[in-house]
Amino acid sequence: MPSVYKLTIQRVGAVVCACGLLIFWASSVQACTDPLITVEAQAIHTLKSAATQPQINSNDRQSGTDKSPAQNAAPAPAGGSNSSYDPGFTGKGYGNLRVKVIDGRTLKPLEGAEVVVMETEKRYRTDANGLTPWIQAPVIRSARFRFLVNELHGQLNLISYKNGYRDSVHMGVRMNEGGVTKTTIWQYQITGEDKRVEPILYIEPYHRLWLIQLADRFRRPSQIGEGYERP
Amino acid sequence: MPHISRLSTMVAVCALLSLLPGIGSPGNARAQVYTIGATGFPSAIRVAIRENNASGEPDPRGRIIYVTNVNFDQYCRDVLPNEWFSNWPVASLEAGAIAVKMFAWYHHLHPVTVDNFTFDVDNTVNFQTYRAQSDQPSTDQAYYTTRNLAYVKANKEIFELNYRAGYENSPNWQYRNAQKMSQWGSQYLALQGRTPIQILEFYYTGRMLLTIPGVGRG
Repeated sequence: MPSVYKLTIQRVGAVVCACGLLIFWASSVQACTDPLITVEAQAIHTLKSAATQPQINSNDRQSGTDKSPAQNAAPAPAGGSNSSYDPGFTGKGYGNLRVKVIDGRTLKPLEGAEVVVMETEKRYRTDANGLTPWIQAPVIRSARFRFLVNELHGQLNLISYKNGYRDSVHMGVRMNEGGVTKTTIWQYQITGEDKRVEPILYIEPYHRLWLIQLADRFRRPSQIGEGYERP
Repeated sequence: MPHISRLSTMVAVCALLSLLPGIGSPGNARAQVYTIGATGFPSAIRVAIRENNASGEPDPRGRIIYVTNVNFDQYCRDVLPNEWFSNWPVASLEAGAIAVKMFAWYHHLHPVTVDNFTFDVDNTVNFQTYRAQSDQPSTDQAYYTTRNLAYVKANKEIFELNYRAGYENSPNWQYRNAQKMSQWGSQYLALQGRTPIQILEFYYTGRMLLTIPGVGRG
């Protein structure tokens, strides 16, 4: 074999090896540096598993049969090197939620709509007043900002379905442990004028008090922006 | 002689102007004072709805799209959870409920006209953050518990109770000096065991608590 070909084969081999090593390195880095995704996914999985088990009633919780926060905390990320990171995933916490579904145009209650709590995959049907039964729903505080600013409330995501209406995706319902939350979903009837029927999205905004804290967290004198609040 | 006639004309004009109401020295111009007992409790409030910004939130500098008439109780209930956290202690929520109501009442009595729209408040932080149908059980309870109470000036004048966020874990003394309630401060004081009235007294001096005649808690 001519030496030119040998050299080429060697080079190709080296490039292939380098690519393999690069892919291996990238995947290991991803696994190490993305604990948020891993932990959230694990925690959501835990919640889903919990949701398939019989519901914990309020008496059980009061008598302490519910798991303690430590017992129910999501597993620590592999490696454990990032000690400042506390997932603080309070899957132990439950709040009471009731959803009202109304017609977005007439504002009248919609009976028979099906509301799904995405995090638990449980389904609830609305009554004649457009109300679901009281739902014992988990309080999930996102780990995203946990080590920067305390999440001041958990968030839940809902979808409502009703025949003849556009699906409504309702995200960011504020939940607190032991608290009572009400929320309203607007659904819009499909008409002949609708050329393209797609879901409606509504994202509940973050509370303004929390946004102020978040902005203050990163503020520096070099670029003070709107500055710290003064009375 | 022409000078004398001009002078007499000017004197006559001045005399006529002084007779007209509302025209004269600034010291004579008095805004109407609304007091508890002489002023009816509002049944509705005009809310200007401003257009949303690109992220879908009402823009305080956005165009006014329309003005809607909202039941006054419902307005206060739909403001409170957007201004205070609904899981805060009851005393903090009740102090907040009184502040939200007095702020709304004052502006109901002092409407403004912008871009040919006349309204009492808008739905943004220009006034108070309002989101329709966002009321929560805990804040509703705080509102109705204090619905019959007004926190007013010593002469019973209805005056806005202003408030700002403030800072966590502190009573926020600087807000007291500015006669504004700190929301975080109200939470802090409530956790220290203060009552709603004590919280209001801490931030607003020279005011008093009154029962609104003919207004119930329900």
